[in-house]
Amino acid sequence: MVRLFSLTRREVNRFLKIPRQTIGAPLLETFLYISIFGAALGSRVGDLDGVDYVVFVIPGLIMMAFAINAFSNNSSSILQQKFQRAIDDQLSSPASPGQLLIAFTLGGFLRGLLIAIITFIAASLLVDLPVEHAYILFPALFLVGWFFAQLGVFVGVRAEQFDDVSFAQTFILQPLIFLGGVFYSASLLPEPYQTLTHFNPVYYMISLVRYGFLGVADISIWLSLGILTVACAAITLVNYRMFKSGYKLRS
Amino acid sequence: MEPSSPSSPVHALQITDLVKRYPTGTEALKGVSLDIADGEFFGLLGPNGAGKSTLIHCSTGLANPTSGSIRVFGNDAVNDYREAREAIGLAPQDINLDWFLTVEETLDLHGGYFGMNKKQRQERVDELLESFSLVEKRNDRTRELSGGMKRRVILARALMHKPRLLILDEPTAGVDVELRLELWHYVQQVNTEGTTILLTTHYLEEAEQLCSRIAFINDGQIVDQGSSSELAERFGVNSLEDAYLELVGRKELSRAHVGADLEPEL
Repeated sequence: MVRLFSLTRREVNRFLKIPRQTIGAPLLETFLYISIFGAALGSRVGDLDGVDYVVFVIPGLIMMAFAINAFSNNSSSILQQKFQRAIDDQLSSPASPGQLLIAFTLGGFLRGLLIAIITFIAASLLVDLPVEHAYILFPALFLVGWFFAQLGVFVGVRAEQFDDVSFAQTFILQPLIFLGGVFYSASLLPEPYQTLTHFNPVYYMISLVRYGFLGVADISIWLSLGILTVACAAITLVNYRMFKSGYKLRS
Repeated sequence: MEPSSPSSPVHALQITDLVKRYPTGTEALKGVSLDIADGEFFGLLGPNGAGKSTLIHCSTGLANPTSGSIRVFGNDAVNDYREAREAIGLAPQDINLDWFLTVEETLDLHGGYFGMNKKQRQERVDELLESFSLVEKRNDRTRELSGGMKRRVILARALMHKPRLLILDEPTAGVDVELRLELWHYVQQVNTEGTTILLTTHYLEEAEQLCSRIAFINDGQIVDQGSSSELAERFGVNSLEDAYLELVGRKELSRAHVGADLEPEL
């Protein structure tokens, strides 16, 4: 336990030391979205799914903040340590592949969680944000955070330069998240975009989180939760195998 | 091969037929066998690219051996990696400190990775900061340290979990004379206290001064081993340096020759 705790402490220590970049910036970004889409444009949009547009947007924004921070923390932390070869200190320690993987995952997961919680508290003070189905919301947010934290580890281990990490974030992650329906309900889209959205995994994640908060969904909740669980297990397994074989970590 | 005495049947490091082939096809180690007895100060000498670092990386889990076996105090470095790595302290060739951490955090976390509890870590950190004259740098981030200070932190970190085998990969490359002597002093003391040491270097003087036994590695193979005087004798030369030059096929560089050639002209 001391090992796992120390490995995790290193990751948490890192993001707490550069809070302006790791916590301040994402919070500001989220609140800019809330003010632009919620306050400024929201009055023109009116109600969506029976709630104010600003209330409709916040669950997606909380999820997006969780996901992107979990991802970017882990991908940058691992790549940076690979560059400095500082990661050799962990790799030549008696820590097991599983301990290494969990610690690297938890770094981004906890950062994303922290930002999600702060955003939630602040948003609750500004608007009346319901939590309709906590028993869905918390597992869903946990799984989303875990999935993207693992994805960050995956990209960080494989990346050879910082461009690889920003490519994944800018060209894959952001479009999937934005087009997954953070700012709109997919049911409002014309065809074929409505159908295409159903191939975007993030659509199901946002729907789950929105259902947890607002209590409305146009997808099957349990099916989505099941698929998300499988996706989390799959990526964790892939990463575990990578750590066990030492792929791109041990020469 | 050194005969193992009955009193110390388990070697600190026992490498048998170690082969390391990289995916590119380069064979960095071509069947290396090496025994280092418990308590020995062992030197591994060879030119750049001979396979010194690869051998160390295979022993510490930073590289996966292609074939052969590595035992650290009897524990297989691949299958019983936990016990094997617990016994090793590694001071790598390139300074690989984490920029975000302070000197104290660097040591403390390392102790944690090796399973030391908080009390053990605190005591050990105080002890090491004291003996490496780092007390005042305790809360400095490692990136702010001078090159010499960084070297000391690297060595302190390797000693943090009280390893039985200390591996030093070219610890004095690019350091000034004072620090070199200081580092020699530290490691000699550690060795006197019972820690086995494997030192790689291409400073022959360093090996001569510190090591009780030396192996030459060239092109991924151990070409000879023995004490410094044994090696010189076997090659029919006066110094370890000349024995080394014979081995790497550059005996024309010998300082003995240069002196002789110059004499008539003086």
